[in-house]
Amino acid sequence: MEPEEISSYVLNKLLKAGADDVIVSVSKQDNSLIKYSNNLINTTKTWENIDLGIFMALKKKIVLTNIKEFSLSATDDVVNKLLKFVKSASPNMEYGGIAKGPFSYKNVEDGYDKKIVLLGDNSIDYVEKAINKALENGAKKTAGVFENSVEDVFLLTSNNVEARDKGTSSYFSIRAFNSKDASGQKTGSSRMIDLLDVEKLAEEAAIISRQAINPEHGKFGKYDVVFEPLPFANLIDNLGNAMSAFSVEAGLSCLKGMIGKQVANKEITIIDDGLLKNGFNSSKFDAEGAPSQRNIMVNKGIFKTYLHNTSTAKRFNTKTTANAGLLSPEPTNLIVEKGNFSKQELFEQVKNGLYITNIWYTRFQNYNTGDFSTIPRDGIFVIKNGKIGQPIKGIRVSENMLNLLKNTVSLGNKPERVVGWEVEKPVVTPAVLVKGVNITRPAD
Amino acid sequence: MFKDLADFAVKYALKLGANYSEARLEETSSNSFIMKNGIAEASGFGKINGLGMRIIKNKTLGFTSTNYLDKEKIKKLIQTTINTAEKASHLREEINLSEDKSLKDKYEVKQKINLNDVGPDEKIKLLFDAEKELINTKINIPSRYLSLSDSITTEYLINSDGTNVLATVPRASFFYLLTVEHNNKTSQRIWQNGQTGGFEFVKKWNIPSIVVNEVKALQKNLKFGIKPPKQALDVIAAPQVVGIMVHESGGHPYEADRIIGREGAQAGESFITKEMLGTRIGNEAVNVVDDPLLENSYGFYKYDNEGVKARRKYLIKEGIINEFLHNRETAYYMGLKSNGSSRAVNYDRESIVRMSNTFMLPGKYSEEELIEDVKLGIYMKNFMEWNIDDKRINQKYVGAESYLIKNGEIKEPVIKPVIEITTPQLYLAVDAVANNTEYHAGNCGKGEPMQPIPVWFGGPSIRLRKIRLGN
Repeated sequence: MEPEEISSYVLNKLLKAGADDVIVSVSKQDNSLIKYSNNLINTTKTWENIDLGIFMALKKKIVLTNIKEFSLSATDDVVNKLLKFVKSASPNMEYGGIAKGPFSYKNVEDGYDKKIVLLGDNSIDYVEKAINKALENGAKKTAGVFENSVEDVFLLTSNNVEARDKGTSSYFSIRAFNSKDASGQKTGSSRMIDLLDVEKLAEEAAIISRQAINPEHGKFGKYDVVFEPLPFANLIDNLGNAMSAFSVEAGLSCLKGMIGKQVANKEITIIDDGLLKNGFNSSKFDAEGAPSQRNIMVNKGIFKTYLHNTSTAKRFNTKTTANAGLLSPEPTNLIVEKGNFSKQELFEQVKNGLYITNIWYTRFQNYNTGDFSTIPRDGIFVIKNGKIGQPIKGIRVSENMLNLLKNTVSLGNKPERVVGWEVEKPVVTPAVLVKGVNITRPAD
Repeated sequence: MFKDLADFAVKYALKLGANYSEARLEETSSNSFIMKNGIAEASGFGKINGLGMRIIKNKTLGFTSTNYLDKEKIKKLIQTTINTAEKASHLREEINLSEDKSLKDKYEVKQKINLNDVGPDEKIKLLFDAEKELINTKINIPSRYLSLSDSITTEYLINSDGTNVLATVPRASFFYLLTVEHNNKTSQRIWQNGQTGGFEFVKKWNIPSIVVNEVKALQKNLKFGIKPPKQALDVIAAPQVVGIMVHESGGHPYEADRIIGREGAQAGESFITKEMLGTRIGNEAVNVVDDPLLENSYGFYKYDNEGVKARRKYLIKEGIINEFLHNRETAYYMGLKSNGSSRAVNYDRESIVRMSNTFMLPGKYSEEELIEDVKLGIYMKNFMEWNIDDKRINQKYVGAESYLIKNGEIKEPVIKPVIEITTPQLYLAVDAVANNTEYHAGNCGKGEPMQPIPVWFGGPSIRLRKIRLGN
């Protein structure tokens, strides 16, 4: 059965049974992934899946389902179970409905690439070129993945929405090693394969790994830190989660009560853009079918709005920002607006500081206050009088999210598109300079 | 279940020239319930019915999966997988699997109260009961997020070596995030309970008492907590803290795929090398095992996802690095046999080396005896923030419910004591191990794409001598 047919079948059955709001989505994905390590391919993977997602509200009782099984008989079972389930569910008195269509949609520019659809096992050539490039540039070994996806989403709702979006994406990661202690990592993401330069990423990762040889143990204290786009994106991704109205209600946000207040340095402007050209998470519409839009989240350091779906917007007495998430609104593509400084000029502003090229394992002590720590990995370097010096290891950033944003005083002029293991929602950001970052380490 | 399709797929791959093929069919049904600040946010259920395959041709490994359970579709995917493997052969890592006995078996984790026999209303009621008890404490708890989930998974594994295993595992978990406020200061806790088995375990957890005890402790800490002392002192780490320590620095670095660099890109490598087997990493009191066979554990399995019989692995024995976690591939690489540590989170993920239930073995002391012998110290019952570097050396645990110990007695609460320590420092500082073993549930992250997999971690309370707390 075609997605349109099955969606309309489900919608009609549920409406007939008394549902007030229904959203049906059918998503087809074809993915391929190459995993490599020690300069060799470990596994080639291909997978094809189809998901049927249904959201139903009946007398404010909300039931959701996701079914990885696609047949008419399975669909009948699902509809019956939904109706049985909703009978014994409890009402969500705060529920505020779903977006009302019909809408007209804008296409995502550079969101679909036939070359990715037809890529097949040619993806191996990209990986081979990248490994060779890293080795040419001094890396001893490499590890990473190259993943390509084609997705087709069909959405039908009880509020006059019928929409379809097709997209492609390409993600590449490479970690280059010079020794166990000396590594560099880069990731790249694009909707168009020709806009993803895997060899450049490989070269940059290899150069970091070469510079990181023979690290010494770092020292604790307050440092001015230049963060590469990759680690800063990790922090902004966490901030993006805190921007969701759902996170505010659940206690997962340091931005509660912060609308209209200074939450970051005046140099910082952050935009969430669901229609970003070549944006990794751009789409025509959100999970309710509301047309994707561009929202200013932080303007010159002032926090402007939470991310909303129709229901959370009603609770907060505002309009949806087109960031549904059926339960929890979520960021699309977060963009930290670029500044004026070259990376060299950022370094030149630092007398005694650190240059951090990657972080991982960001964990919060308290989401409400924004207290967290995260661990720099791969190349970490001392900056002395504006120059990159001794590589170091074994340190931790122990900070507060809002402090860190307030102390982000200078931004670079070359934004990068970051997606990664710990950057689940895409972030576009330049390198930044943060003053007085608290660095800790285990005692001797 | 479409067993015939899995049987066909294995044979078809061989027909196309594969040297090894393996099919894993998964059928999962799940339910989940979310309550936020007293409101039943949503109920949900899911269903998975899919097939995943590993195929080796000319020592090149390919993986494919689909939930279009259709013979023609699967034939096409197998052909594509083999073609891609062939194209990759000039650049591939040579994949060999260790010899293992082929076996045929089926097992099921028994449920006294079947998860599917308990209606959504009864499950939601547990969350409402917890909410009611939280409100009754009169403590200021501005955010209360509770969720209850359960699933029943049946997996059918067949491979071309003749192995054939059918397993049914029901699983339930309860998750909470609580924020307590006092005098404009907040404190939070996130934790989870999880087991395999039926609804009887969910009842046994006594969810209302779990959350009430948490908020009482958080409030006490906010109201009466003092700053931790600055001088070196002893730490009694209670089972929850020991569990996470052991998982992060006594389990992960022993995963053989990390050791040989397979997870180098993201999850990372390990400070441990093959040459370190038999060398000391901790005090003699330290024994760490990984054991999938603990009955009703969250990480329970009888056979792993390669069909290898599960067994207890002694990762650290009397302070000595003793054994790594292996699948058939890493075992061959190191000239060994697999010890049954291969797991995949769903049909659409390749099985890789994973922990199951990782814990420190108990010692001979009671927890009270450990405390009695401390002049100045900290008792860290549980934690909130933690992390560790990707080689598994530099780790941090920030205490949530914690107390000062003075002259062998537990005194006032302590605010956020920080243990920031290296792995050898940690295990060499253990001078005594208690006998009060507890197990706790979590979802361990590894793999790319990410595969969060259910595990238990745990152990008894331990005493760490002369630790300098961090900032």
